[in-house]
Amino acid sequence: MTGSPAVCFEKVHKLFGRVRAVAGVDLTVARGETVALLGRNGAGKSTTVGLLLGLDEPDAGTVRLFGGPPSRAVAAGRVGAMLQDGRAVRRVTVRELVSFVAAAFPRPLPVAETIGLAGLTGLEDRRVDRLSGGQAQRVRFAVALAGGPELVVLDEPTAALDVEARRAFWASMRAYAGRGNTVLFSTHHLEEADAYADRIVVLDRGEVVADGTGERLREAAGGRLVSFDLADGDAAGLRLLPGVRDVEVRAGRARLRTDDADATVVALAGLGSVRDIEVTRATLEDAFLALTRRHDEHVEVAS
Amino acid sequence: MIGRYVRLEVRRALRDPGFIVFGAGMPVVMYLLFTNIGQGANPDGAAWKVTSMVGMAAYGALGAAVGTGTGIAEDKQLGWLHQLRITPIRPRDVVLGRGLAGSVTVLPSLLLVLAAGALVNGVRLDAWQWPALVGLMWLGALPFTLFGIGNGYRLSAQTTGVLNIGCLVGLAVIGGLWFPVELFPHWLRVIAEFTPANRFAALGWSTTAGGAPTVATVAVLLGWLAVSGSYAVVSYRRAARTAT
Repeated sequence: MTGSPAVCFEKVHKLFGRVRAVAGVDLTVARGETVALLGRNGAGKSTTVGLLLGLDEPDAGTVRLFGGPPSRAVAAGRVGAMLQDGRAVRRVTVRELVSFVAAAFPRPLPVAETIGLAGLTGLEDRRVDRLSGGQAQRVRFAVALAGGPELVVLDEPTAALDVEARRAFWASMRAYAGRGNTVLFSTHHLEEADAYADRIVVLDRGEVVADGTGERLREAAGGRLVSFDLADGDAAGLRLLPGVRDVEVRAGRARLRTDDADATVVALAGLGSVRDIEVTRATLEDAFLALTRRHDEHVEVAS
Repeated sequence: MIGRYVRLEVRRALRDPGFIVFGAGMPVVMYLLFTNIGQGANPDGAAWKVTSMVGMAAYGALGAAVGTGTGIAEDKQLGWLHQLRITPIRPRDVVLGRGLAGSVTVLPSLLLVLAAGALVNGVRLDAWQWPALVGLMWLGALPFTLFGIGNGYRLSAQTTGVLNIGCLVGLAVIGGLWFPVELFPHWLRVIAEFTPANRFAALGWSTTAGGAPTVATVAVLLGWLAVSGSYAVVSYRRAARTAT
């Protein structure tokens, strides 16, 4: 059993009415890994999280946590989660809530440690429903960690946090992952996925459209961006230049995504109509847009 | 673990302004008002103080019992029920714990009105009658707790709140908890005696009269217990299926 991955989805489908919320997802998260689930709103992230935690049953395919059904991992106290729809529990203090959750698990963290990790020191005796939005979000993080779970699932964990709180949150999350725990978080912030995850899984329309490190996603979508002023030149034909995978013209400036920047630049120089040329590394945002756009086109063709 | 859960939920319920008003404050205030104002109109003041004490204790217990459902509906909306489902606490224990917590919160409502009767209105009963009164009425509140739980799992917090208060007031009036059913026209009185709140209070009235509850009273209450229990189970199962 020690060999089985923390999370394993096999061809998982979930329909809500006629909407295909999750459409054939395969996903494996090894123990100790930190994985980001990245996608636009409505891409299927929360549905995936719900299926993972056993809050929902898939219509087809299997979901396994540590080699067994999610309900077994949850009952054994191996999973902790911060849900997106969770709001402040009312009429209970921070300490009461965290102690209660900790006591429900077989191997909890000490309450003081959980409160420290979540940045709630000094707020222990405050009522949860009287905290600010950011503080309440940290309480939900504390609830996810309180049981000392091996797998922590965080659905959009930083949505209500300001910049400083966000940084503190990720530092705590990394500290917890650093103890050998597995973390899976969903986000639509590219920088967060890139900075804090070992691996990024891009979801779009309920399908996994990319899976790899930030670096690999950039490569997959076309590693370099060559941009220059078009002046009065014609954009037609640029798509045919060596290495070019995608052309975009914005405010008189052409942006070519390319697998071989050197060859593209040499060819452009041959055309002679190039001004103010610049070669940059494609950002993850470029990669993300390319991945989801390609998917849109693909879907339109298919339907 | 279930003990810890009950403690947590009782603590939360006792901090609820809704509970403090409908479960504890109003019944006591209404009892003292109804028994001390317009006394001249009532030929038998002492008896009315006992009858109304039982009626208002029943009313308070009813308020606390259905209030459990309002709490559940609220927790469903806040995501707390989902959060509980991803702890090792068994789902069955959550429902059971919630029911037990609801039963516990019924007690202060009962005790407050009885204390007002004994200490302010000078109601005197035999020593055995007080614990019998508390015990019977505590058990008798169970159908209402289950009814509240059923509403809580099935409906939104707002709907549950409105429905619970509507049922609370409706059942209290027709059940004769506020005004004796003797004042009702005959046909209404016949109906009243089949309603759950009336039979619930009858448990207390028979005790203060020095007797045991009638078979009919117990039978009607068991019937209502079966109905509300099934309702709670069906509502819970439905809520568990539609997870999101």
